Amino acid sequence: MLSRVAETIFWLGRYMERTNGMLQVIRTSYISSQDEVSDYSWQPLLLTYGNLKKEAVKGLDESSLLIFDQLIFNRENPSSIFNNVTTSRENARAIQDHITKEVWQCLNDYYHAIRDVQLEKQIKFADPISVIDNLIKYCFLYTGTMDMTMPRGEGFTYLNIGKFLERAVLTTDVIRIKLSEINYELEEQEEAPEWKYLLYSLYGYEQYFKIYRGNFKPEFVLQMVLQNTFYPHSILYSLEQVDLYFKRLRTASLPASYQEVEFIIGKTMNAVKYRKIDSFEPGEFNKYLLELRSSLFQIAQSFSKNYFGIS
Amino acid sequence: MSAYSILEAYLEQPNVWDEMFSAEGIRPPYKNFVSAIENLPPVEMTHKDDLAKKLFMSQGITFTVYNSGEGIEKIFPFDIIPRIIRNEEWKLIEAGIKQRLKVLNVFLKDIYHEQFILKDAIVPADLIFSCPAFLREMMNVNVPFDIYTHIAGVDLIRDSDGSFYVLEDNLRTPSGVSYMLENRSITYRIFPDLLPKNNVLSVKDYPDLLFKNLINIGRQNTHDPTVVLLSPGIYNSAYFEHSTLARLMGIELVEGRDLVVDNHKVYMKTTKGLQKVDVIYRRVDDEFIDPLVFRPDSMLGVPGLYWAYRKGNVAIVNAMGNGVADDKAIYSYVPDMIRYYLNEEPILKNVPTYQLANQEEREFVFANMERMVIKKTNESGGYGMLIGSAATQKEMDTFKEDILKDPRSFIGQPIISLSSTPCYINGFLQPRRVDLRPFALYGPDGIDIVPGGLTRVALKEGSLVVNSSQGGGSKDTWVLA
Repeated sequence: MLSRVAETIFWLGRYMERTNGMLQVIRTSYISSQDEVSDYSWQPLLLTYGNLKKEAVKGLDESSLLIFDQLIFNRENPSSIFNNVTTSRENARAIQDHITKEVWQCLNDYYHAIRDVQLEKQIKFADPISVIDNLIKYCFLYTGTMDMTMPRGEGFTYLNIGKFLERAVLTTDVIRIKLSEINYELEEQEEAPEWKYLLYSLYGYEQYFKIYRGNFKPEFVLQMVLQNTFYPHSILYSLEQVDLYFKRLRTASLPASYQEVEFIIGKTMNAVKYRKIDSFEPGEFNKYLLELRSSLFQIAQSFSKNYFGIS
Repeated sequence: MSAYSILEAYLEQPNVWDEMFSAEGIRPPYKNFVSAIENLPPVEMTHKDDLAKKLFMSQGITFTVYNSGEGIEKIFPFDIIPRIIRNEEWKLIEAGIKQRLKVLNVFLKDIYHEQFILKDAIVPADLIFSCPAFLREMMNVNVPFDIYTHIAGVDLIRDSDGSFYVLEDNLRTPSGVSYMLENRSITYRIFPDLLPKNNVLSVKDYPDLLFKNLINIGRQNTHDPTVVLLSPGIYNSAYFEHSTLARLMGIELVEGRDLVVDNHKVYMKTTKGLQKVDVIYRRVDDEFIDPLVFRPDSMLGVPGLYWAYRKGNVAIVNAMGNGVADDKAIYSYVPDMIRYYLNEEPILKNVPTYQLANQEEREFVFANMERMVIKKTNESGGYGMLIGSAATQKEMDTFKEDILKDPRSFIGQPIISLSSTPCYINGFLQPRRVDLRPFALYGPDGIDIVPGGLTRVALKEGSLVVNSSQGGGSKDTWVLA
């Protein structure tokens, strides 16, 4: 496969996963801001996805409408949902001959939908959750269409590597966003609603209660979002998927390239798998997440260097 | 008062051949179609028109216009009423184009080798050597199977007497074939059952025929050739066509930056290292194709490609330097070429063309400018053109000045009226002018032309310019069995 095509399709997978992840966390944050948390702060979310300086964030914090505008519609914010979808479609266009017509049309429809001016009106004057739900549905439609129609070749492999790598990054970021709301006071803040919203943001609330039967402990929550391999948004699950798809590339790789990427994926997986959750010192957890994040970026860089011809 | 009829606004136009109407009424090939739609309520027709637009948009059959930062998606305007061609007419067109292509191909080989046609003074030598599309770099290059014009889109028009004329032979990188394919697939969505009921010949073989030719050309060097389509990239207005063709043929769509030349061989950069490329169907113009030989500022080409080609390590489709055969000034010699090379009479007529480098012809054109079309010999897309009947005195004077500065770069032709065909506009059928571009494929096994083509239509009332860059649209083109 052409290096340019592999890179473009990898990023298509990443952008679409990010779109879905961001929408879910925006949705949950909005609900929690309306629901029970008094003095809810959007700051951590705006700092992660808003492409804004600290001072600018302060001005936005009061109004959900301004926040939606910044995170969903703003053309100037490179991380906005609008720009994610536009870039996804632009990527899809550049490799149209490597995705199915169905996947292309699905992304093209999404692009036309997000440009519809009615959407902004609906969010302003009607129910914002319905609008976000509708946008999330497009993501689900894309995921299903991809799964139903794409041939299981190299293109599909790169798409999934991008998707699951991005999912690992997203989960890391969402944990950081939610825990920074309680200043990483893991033990002292056992009762805080942020733990619940962390699970909601990662589609994990129902699963958590099925596993732990109402026994709510921060340690269990972290165990689930970091290490549970039956939970599709945990970091370890995502990395296992990256590893699984990557192994399919063995025969389509130069041996040296394969070894280098295999090493770094394995190392990152181990750092998650064999980390004892109850042994974090105060303040250590945030550092651990930051290191994990940088390992995930190293995996991406290693693909760029060894497979996409970018040194 | 009679009931609403979709035909009531269809006014007769003097001195214009209408594809649907004759003095005796509706022409036979259109009868079936008209009877199927004439009693539809206007809201149904408008619904079909909207559906067609929606389908183009949702399938992403669009091009992006970039201004003020954000891209705007546009569709190439499509008129839902098909243009219908009788089988006998098609046979004539097919034979005429085959004859022409055979000759133009021989002409290219001759011009880039022995140049017998210049020595015998059939075509004036200075006309060739002053043509900017004539590439000295192509002298004595042997192209695979002696084929230069693998893909041609010959533009035909019909004059008021009903006969077809060739207006242009597009032999460089003609585009529009994806619209021939897409227009057809939209037509069967909006007019269920009408295609089979009318015995319309299918156009769907085009990608298969093209792919077969590309593979066969590559077989000269290797048993299992790698074929790629070289595109300028997603910002090109024909990008949709490039990706459609690549997908339909199952070949790799590459950009210049994906290719690299090493030791006069062409490779593409893949995730597993370099992979050799044997055939390039390029949609990048000659001047951009190799910055080491042609325009040095080109970012679209591949450094070293020319020498790889010259050494026969890669086949390029279409060949470089074809522009010398479709130059608008050299065009007027094609009938003579047919007589010279084949000893046959041309099947399709040429539009009379005046060489403005010739003083007598120039004076004649200047004296009759309001009945002439003046064209630049090396421009296309409806640019660099003056239609005398629609031009102001000032525009004519400016053109005259330009012509006197560089007469070789202009030709004059009498205004041909162009036939009209019904279009669905504002709830009624209205006549608009059309041309026809069938696509011919020249491979080692001969020439194939899929029955159909792109009918381009000037959507502005009374306009004679069908180019998409000048507000033209297109129609599905039916050739009946």
